[in-house]
Amino acid sequence: MNAIIRHSGALFAVLAVALTAGPARATITQQCPLDTDGLDTDGDGNAADDVVCKHMIASDGFVNMADGKLLYVFGFSEILPGEALDMAVMEHTLGAEEPAPTMAFREGQRVYLTVSNAGFMIRPDLFDPHSIHWHGFPNAAPIFDGMPDSTLTVKMDASQPYYYEPIDPGTYMYHCHVEATEHIQMGMVGQLYVRPKQNLLPPGTPLGSFVHRAGQKYAYNDGDGSTRYDIEVPLQLDSMDPDFHDASEGVQPLPFALMDDRYFLINGRGYPDTARRGPIPNGYDGNFSQKIDSQVRARRGQRVLLRLSNLSVTKYFTISIQGIPMHVIGQDAKILRGPSGLDLSYDTNSVMLGAGESADVILDTTGLVPGTYFLYVTNLNFLSNDAEDTGGMMTEVVILG
Amino acid sequence: MTMHITRNAGGLGGVARAGAIASPFRPVAPLAAAGFAGLLALALTLLPRPSLGAISGVAGPTFSLTARAGYVSTGEGGSIHVWGLANGAGLMQYPGPTLLVSVGDVVTITLDNELPVNVSLVFPGQEGVTALGGVPGALTNEVEPAGAPVTYQFTALRPGTFQYHDGSDPQLGIEMGMVGALIVRPAHAGWAYDHADSAYDREVLFLETEMDPLIHELVETQRIADVDFTKYRPTYWFLNGRTAPDTMVAAGAQWLPAQPYSCMPMIHPGEKLLLRIVPAGRDLHPFHTHGQHMRIIAQDGRLLESAPGSGADRSFLWFTTTVTPGGTDDALFTWTGDRLGWDVYGHQPGDPLAPGELAADHGKPFPVVLPDPKDTEAGPFYPGSPFLGMSGYRQPVFGTTPNPEAGYYFMWHSHKEYEMVNNDVFPGGMMTMLVVEHPDVPIMEM
Repeated sequence: MNAIIRHSGALFAVLAVALTAGPARATITQQCPLDTDGLDTDGDGNAADDVVCKHMIASDGFVNMADGKLLYVFGFSEILPGEALDMAVMEHTLGAEEPAPTMAFREGQRVYLTVSNAGFMIRPDLFDPHSIHWHGFPNAAPIFDGMPDSTLTVKMDASQPYYYEPIDPGTYMYHCHVEATEHIQMGMVGQLYVRPKQNLLPPGTPLGSFVHRAGQKYAYNDGDGSTRYDIEVPLQLDSMDPDFHDASEGVQPLPFALMDDRYFLINGRGYPDTARRGPIPNGYDGNFSQKIDSQVRARRGQRVLLRLSNLSVTKYFTISIQGIPMHVIGQDAKILRGPSGLDLSYDTNSVMLGAGESADVILDTTGLVPGTYFLYVTNLNFLSNDAEDTGGMMTEVVILG
Repeated sequence: MTMHITRNAGGLGGVARAGAIASPFRPVAPLAAAGFAGLLALALTLLPRPSLGAISGVAGPTFSLTARAGYVSTGEGGSIHVWGLANGAGLMQYPGPTLLVSVGDVVTITLDNELPVNVSLVFPGQEGVTALGGVPGALTNEVEPAGAPVTYQFTALRPGTFQYHDGSDPQLGIEMGMVGALIVRPAHAGWAYDHADSAYDREVLFLETEMDPLIHELVETQRIADVDFTKYRPTYWFLNGRTAPDTMVAAGAQWLPAQPYSCMPMIHPGEKLLLRIVPAGRDLHPFHTHGQHMRIIAQDGRLLESAPGSGADRSFLWFTTTVTPGGTDDALFTWTGDRLGWDVYGHQPGDPLAPGELAADHGKPFPVVLPDPKDTEAGPFYPGSPFLGMSGYRQPVFGTTPNPEAGYYFMWHSHKEYEMVNNDVFPGGMMTMLVVEHPDVPIMEM
């Protein structure tokens, strides 16, 4: 109820617009053709299941930081198959998630992505269009690149189709590219990665001296099993400036020059919420707006693939794990190899990521003492939730015996 | 405007397509008429030839530079007091002149000083630099205000991309603008290093800097003693001395007299673009290239090779590139538009291939139905069609399009996105566009 009173002005404005606007013209639609080409492009033995359809809808919403601070955000949520499209705007209003729902594809799939725009409930004075930029997609064409200056971006109450053929496995990321500094700071970010065809090899296939066994998974088509993993953990690093978000919520001029992030997040949460299992409802309307925890759980001996990405708009982050060496096998959705195949992967205790950079890191847990280890940012001033000194960009790696 | 055409698709192709730039909205199937000439043009592009897309600068090996105060303009209309370097008696410029020399040259740089502080120049990465004249300083000989000039001299021993900057008070001097790039070319034209792995068709400089305008205000009002770098907070970010959108204005534009260098690469599909990335300020900038990864082939003037002569076999691919301030990276970028599952040229299956087009996606239809134009907003560089070189119906948002040739515009920018701002005004800052033009369209070097 407090929330409704807090924003009664905004709700009234929405109502006023709704009552005075003419008949609705635009609608939420989705293009999702059947896979009838008879080709098995994803290599799974089924020629009729290569088409994947995803539907993301942009709106605003709220999330709680680990110190309890309620932040106004922009973001995406997913319209799932079977949802009524004519109800989608109403259902997904205030539905923004931090980070946006993860998109994971397989090499060879054909992806029809729909981006819809539900508008901003709290900011009915804004009419921002939105886009999705598949950050790092190789050989992109502007029409599906989401960069507003050279393509189309979708207006409110409407939908826009995107098409991709993911053929290069690796860890990418996605975000809205409209008014990018503002929309990314406000939270329109998500995780995106592509798994390789090598996962589908028949058991017993030799990869050099390595032999593929059923169920084994790889980060890349490495040809030698070197990127094999048992558990995959995507961790997106981000940071937010509460003053910027409060200014946006309060319809104030946005402080670009003074932007100073004070919340440091993994998958949209600060510690200890990072290690809190399951989705977290926000304190505004109870929407589960932070769905992705980041506690890593592995049995001793398993290989863990960390898919690291950074979508902060202000910071570099250096990630370390006390007691567990990191083996970096990929950067920016490319296996770390030279053009002639030279192995450029390396062991390290720290990985630095700039905004818009990604890395694939293997943790070999063989021989580790069972217990809880900490993955944390070595920029120690970022181990905080605003004024709260213990928290921020940190999570737990639990090794089970 | 000093915009000029330096490339016309190798003569034959250019003749065949002379009409291409005459009409802002060309017919959509130019290649049907130009198929054979297109193949010839393709053959020509495969032959070794010198670079035609070039970096603006001053050719050496003898230079005369003067440290001098002046003003630069910023994209939102601001004006900042700077200390730049003039080429001889010319206007002060920011960054300093890009020094273009060849390997083996004995490079001689004479520095004069019209500023109220001592200045000098250092050349990181160069060996055996001598300094004659002036007064001794901590790093090298310095020129006092209105003092006798210093002459620096060194032999350019290895090809590569380097920087130079003030050596008397580098923290203040670089912030104020005394910084520039030095490019040493190898004997082989069209290569960046002594190996074919560094061959390129065009090249572009990305000299990255930032400024805190409060410092410049203090210097301008003779309060240098009040400058406090512990409170340093840049609010302007530059590529080749300009903030967006000025980065995309032609080199030598009259209204940017102190900022003669543009930063807007233009290529044809399949061409190799060499990026010489020179972070010359103090901060890290994650530089994101829309459209494609870049291959980092050299760092700090050294080819990424595992053994002498092995070529760039330790090169790697990045979609966002961080180069450490003070260092340099060289990268190669190529965009072909293949492997998308649809034909970026909008060909029918029976049409001839465009020059450089790979056959895999040839004639494959566009995979989706675009929304009703009223449901979307079209950006200024959207030509009304998803296809390269094909203009179509366009929403009358901006009146006439700045992209009549229907090139593909890819934003290249710092992904620390708060650096895409000019002192609180979005968009701007460290941002520009790569333009991929249809093979028929002659490229106007900016």
